[in-house]
Amino acid sequence: MLSFIIAEIPRLFTSYNIILLLHAALVTLALSAVGCAVGLVFGFGLSLARLSKRAVFWPVKVIAFLYVEIVRRVPFLITLMMFFFGAQVLGFSFSPLLTAFIASSVISTAFVAEIVRAGLMAVRPAQIEAAEVMNFSVWTTFWHVRLPQAWPIMLPPVFSYFVLFIKDTALASQVGVLELTQAGKILTTKGFSASLVYGAVLVLYFVISYPLARFGNYLERRIGAARHSRPRSAV
Amino acid sequence: MHYVLHYGQITPYLPYLMGGMLISLALSILSFTGGMVIGLFFAMLRHEGGIPARLVRCYVAFFTNTPQLVQIYVIYFGLPDFGILFSPFSAVLIGMTLNAAGYLTEILRGGLISVHQPELDAAETLNMNRLQTLRHVILPHLFRVTMPALTNQYILMTLGTSMAAIFGVEELTGRAFNINSTTFRSIEIFTTVAGLYVVVTFIATILLALFGRWAFRARVPVV
Repeated sequence: MLSFIIAEIPRLFTSYNIILLLHAALVTLALSAVGCAVGLVFGFGLSLARLSKRAVFWPVKVIAFLYVEIVRRVPFLITLMMFFFGAQVLGFSFSPLLTAFIASSVISTAFVAEIVRAGLMAVRPAQIEAAEVMNFSVWTTFWHVRLPQAWPIMLPPVFSYFVLFIKDTALASQVGVLELTQAGKILTTKGFSASLVYGAVLVLYFVISYPLARFGNYLERRIGAARHSRPRSAV
Repeated sequence: MHYVLHYGQITPYLPYLMGGMLISLALSILSFTGGMVIGLFFAMLRHEGGIPARLVRCYVAFFTNTPQLVQIYVIYFGLPDFGILFSPFSAVLIGMTLNAAGYLTEILRGGLISVHQPELDAAETLNMNRLQTLRHVILPHLFRVTMPALTNQYILMTLGTSMAAIFGVEELTGRAFNINSTTFRSIEIFTTVAGLYVVVTFIATILLALFGRWAFRARVPVV
């Protein structure tokens, strides 16, 4: 059996199939990156709403809280299906790719909002009080006091969430988005051995994800070290 | 945009969905337990150093850097090439266990590092053997420290069981797909199932927090 599979290798890696796989790998990366970028923007908005002390904002606060708590507890597959079938039923004609982009943005907004909130909360209250004493406006306090200190705290977890999310986007193949897993499905349908094709897909995911994960670790050590002013033990 | 919600058409299926939820829970509990056993063993190996530690590092790097879905694809569609056949349920269970083992090894290793050396020295002074040290000194500390991360991992795994539907296991998501194709009430059925997942994971969070407080005196917020 192994000899059959080895004999198949040159037939699988023709230039057309390699282009298909690389294109699919780019889509996988884009899904995760766009999801996280959108998630960062909206996540900031949500966590700012949750942290604000103005009484006027309480409905926004409640909605933000419910959004974060609920969306993080729904499987990505269900969210995808909800948007996929929901768009059809309501008469929008979204492409599968757009559906996947929307669903991944919705999910990552909730996760990133939680990370951002933790980062903003980690800034010492004394700093904010000092800013108040110096008569800084709310905006100045946020921009010049809170954000510069919260940024290094939240950057590493956001990045590692981005790397984690690369693996979750494999589920987008279920609505027909041509990403890495879907490319694998197409190739097996063409008659290549499943073990060989999915083995190759696994390797491609690993090649994308592993360097990014290592970079994330480096980022964490680097920024963490700068923040703690003494290097943490490197274990 | 003229769409009327008909949740009434879904209600007869609720017992059916509950049955699916039991399968989901069975899947998540079994794979979490299996993952804990393997993860604990691997974390110990990783902590000891040497060649086994390197192999464990490779295992963890591989399983945490590739999607669980494709891992199960390899087990379910790839291994038959070599004459190894699994039923959908066992393929998903094996895939989820191996995947969980990767993540849990990392979590538990973090806990092992934080065991204080003086405590181990004290155990040695009391003439405890390795097994006794593990049972009475290392494990209580380990679970107390890692409880929040373990809870989080369990929740993520419960959500991860939804991919069993792709392989034809009729758990919560699989049954939702079935109902969707009989009634075409997509929005209703998927929101209902999403709600069920929210409820289940919420209960799991509370129960695990209470369990952690009771069994390991872990400082976990209940809600």
